Amino acid sequence: MSSFIENVVACPGCDLLQRIPVLPPGGKARCPRCGHMMAANKPDSLERTLALAVAAAITLVVANTTPLMGISVVGRHVSTTILGGVLEMWLEGQEITALLVAFCVMVAPTVYIGLMIVILLAVRHSPAPSWTGFLLRMLDLSQPWGMAEVMMLGILVALIKIAEMATLFLGAGIFAVGALIVLIAAMMASFDHNEVWKRIRWADEKSHKMTASAEMADMGG
Amino acid sequence: MTEKIDLDNIPEAAIVPKKRMRFSVVWIIPIVAALVAIGIAVQRILSEGPTITIVFKAAEGVEAGKTFVKYNDVNIGEVKTVRLSADFTKVVVTAKIDKSAEGLIVEDAEFWVEKPRVTLSGVSGIGTLLTGNFIGLKMGKSKQPRHNFIGRDVPPAITIDQPGRTFILQADNLGSVGIGSPLYYRRLNVGQVIGYDLAGDGKSLHIKIFVHAPYDKYVTNETRFWEASGIDVTMGASGINVDTQSVVSMLVGGIAFETPSLMKELKPADANAAFPLFRSRATAMAEHETVITPYVLYFNESLLGLSVGAPVTYRGLTVGEVTTVGLEYDPAKEFIQPRVDIQLYPARFMAHVKKSAALDEQARSESGRHAFMQKLIDKGVRAQLRSGNILTGQLYVAFDNFRGVPKVKIDWTKTPAELPVMPSGLEDLKTKINDVLAKIDKIPLDAIGEDMKKLLTGLDGMVKRVDREVLPELKTTLEALKHVLKSTDATLVGKDAPAQQEMREALQEVRRAAQAISGLVDYLERNPDALIRGKTQEKSK
Amino acid sequence: MSIGVPTGIKWGFVSCEACGLLTKPVNVHEPGHCPRCGGKLELRRYNTIQRTWALIIAATICYIPANVMPVMVTSTLTSVEEDTIISGAVLLYKYGSWHLALIVLIASVMIPLAKLAALAYLLITVQRNSIKDQRERTRLYRLVEFVGRWSMLDIFVVTFVVALIQLQPLMSVKPGLGSLFFASVVVLTMIAAETFDSRLIWDSSNCKEEQND
Repeated sequence: MSSFIENVVACPGCDLLQRIPVLPPGGKARCPRCGHMMAANKPDSLERTLALAVAAAITLVVANTTPLMGISVVGRHVSTTILGGVLEMWLEGQEITALLVAFCVMVAPTVYIGLMIVILLAVRHSPAPSWTGFLLRMLDLSQPWGMAEVMMLGILVALIKIAEMATLFLGAGIFAVGALIVLIAAMMASFDHNEVWKRIRWADEKSHKMTASAEMADMGG
Repeated sequence: MTEKIDLDNIPEAAIVPKKRMRFSVVWIIPIVAALVAIGIAVQRILSEGPTITIVFKAAEGVEAGKTFVKYNDVNIGEVKTVRLSADFTKVVVTAKIDKSAEGLIVEDAEFWVEKPRVTLSGVSGIGTLLTGNFIGLKMGKSKQPRHNFIGRDVPPAITIDQPGRTFILQADNLGSVGIGSPLYYRRLNVGQVIGYDLAGDGKSLHIKIFVHAPYDKYVTNETRFWEASGIDVTMGASGINVDTQSVVSMLVGGIAFETPSLMKELKPADANAAFPLFRSRATAMAEHETVITPYVLYFNESLLGLSVGAPVTYRGLTVGEVTTVGLEYDPAKEFIQPRVDIQLYPARFMAHVKKSAALDEQARSESGRHAFMQKLIDKGVRAQLRSGNILTGQLYVAFDNFRGVPKVKIDWTKTPAELPVMPSGLEDLKTKINDVLAKIDKIPLDAIGEDMKKLLTGLDGMVKRVDREVLPELKTTLEALKHVLKSTDATLVGKDAPAQQEMREALQEVRRAAQAISGLVDYLERNPDALIRGKTQEKSK
Repeated sequence: MSIGVPTGIKWGFVSCEACGLLTKPVNVHEPGHCPRCGGKLELRRYNTIQRTWALIIAATICYIPANVMPVMVTSTLTSVEEDTIISGAVLLYKYGSWHLALIVLIASVMIPLAKLAALAYLLITVQRNSIKDQRERTRLYRLVEFVGRWSMLDIFVVTFVVALIQLQPLMSVKPGLGSLFFASVVVLTMIAAETFDSRLIWDSSNCKEEQND
């Protein structure tokens, strides 16, 4: 059975052991050795992030169901949604690329937002059950794979390429994607992991009961 | 009296604990998002038009999500799904129609697939090569909405709301006419055949035609209709005659109409009036020539080659035809003489003359016609037999001006009146040919043959002499020539020969020119793409 | 004995990568699961150097067909043209949008190359136990992590151009095989950044300290 230490952490960037001081609201803490962002005091984190996540969920639905844009040339009209773009890639034989695109812009953001909502709702009734911790781990895994903003820039490049030869119509979908990007970025900025960890029932409750003061004495010297 | 101010007894303000806000301000964001999303959804639901199904036998080029439904060239809906019917014999297409076009989807609306077609009425739908096939809609008159339709195989022939009139043509058989065959007036396409069926007794065909406004007013009670399909090729005394209305009618048949000019009391025909359909323009215009003047001609020569129906021409233009070719016994002269009866159609005569009211007036009265004819005869017009076609030996009757002919007065009391003739000179031609043949006969071919033989033997001797005497001379000349050539070798053929040098330079020039041309061709090849790819081609140059 | 810099590895503490809890396991090399979040504990990311090298090499192998094979095939009435990433950027430049050409070049050509080079550099310096520029190298690693996803730009451009330009027979665009290889390069380098453990950069200092003792 291993013991644990609270209040002391090792920097994920350089493994330096350090204590996190009490932070003023909005304040941040960096690792003194390598500059890794260790902690931040985000006021009202859980409430805010939940509101943003709900908004992001609604925006996500709109972004995926409404057409992003349409073009018109020589009397022909074509318009597409995100799913339409994925389908077209699939139909043209690029199945793997289609799946990848679908994962990065549809699955990953949905998972991220969905998990966020679930976690935040669970944590409102502290202490949350331990599977919340599992969900939080999944959340962190899915975060780097949400590429809505890269897709936005890609769409812009594609549109400029196409605008030379056809008339463009912007649909509600593209504004929804823009809003989604902003909302997800705000979510990431206002989410405080530690607040959640503080409110979760430990996976191994028995270890939780152990105090760590003995170890603290060992290190203090 | 002042009271002692006792600061200790001032009551304390009650602390109002900071109310824990149930909802912080940040919740406005999701509320706004929800409102916008609901707004979008509501707007989409409200602007949803009806979804309809159309069953086609074949729906080429119709794709889900890509093909549009068009009315009057305006997109009014889009195809959502395309699938086979349950028994795999038909194609079921579902389409979503815009709300704004809801009123068009009624009981008797009709749908078809517009695609490139070459049909009886011409070529249609070529535009779809660019825009892709679409589903066309013909409006119905009913007000009853309907959601399930059976699609047509071909576009409807006409739209109900087009102005014009229908007429009926009677014919023995359909010929090369079909539904959609074009209708021509003065080579303009003014309508089409819209249907046909057998008459009640099965003895003739009723062909229904539709003439668009404003051309329907040119259909009068005297109008003649004829089949203008294909190519009319007739070979007769006037030679080979090719007549066609248009390339389309050549391919798919057609009907033309015209009103003969010399008709009185023309009034526009009633709708659905019946007309006979003739096989050709000639028969159509000829048949009811109401004014026919018969004449008789007595030729003093062979009539072999003159057939009934041969044209009678004046100065090359057809003004009548031959009706009888035969012999007549003239009791006074005790002589059998050839007799040709002809019919002249003053209408045709006059039609070829520039229109003048006076002339028309003259033509209408018999005395006027007689006077006109006498005038012509006085001027020297006579009838003459002419060869229309040397190959077939066909003859025809030509009226023409002749000089120095004695004056003849037409005796109008005889019916038919006789017109003066001129000998044709054809006989002379025949005798002339005979004479030539006889002359050829007289040529002493035998004697010529003997002379030829003598000439040839002399030549033989000469050749032998050449061999013996001339050849050695030739040899020495040839040697000298060789010498000369060797020296020219140096100047022409040697590697650095100046002449060769020039030639090489010339070749290089040619090569350079060829390269330049090929470069130009490459550039031209790439040019058409720039039209589609972007207009900034010039800028980047 | 000087204490030196307190690091988890020196003092036998394992930090949970998911929730940050420090535990002192009985056996550092088999730390078990985190008591707080239940995630698997490991002292350093599993087999980090080998895995990262393997992924980098795989990505480099994919990089060649990614740039040589066409990513887009444009068919017009008169011609069929294949475009690789670079030729596509050149076309953008030729048609006057030099800014777009620059964006595509940077995102699709330079960034993947830079990522591969940076990760290789990080691996080499770690394997040589270099203690120079540790802070800068850590910053480099964070940059690689952050910037990697933007290389997916061209994939999205291709996806949406293909989705919109379907106007047979006038003009239609199909994706080429190059896009698949290109996507693999991006994915492989993203995973490589995940498998690399930046703490190794600093572990070399521990070795140095022990040597100096």
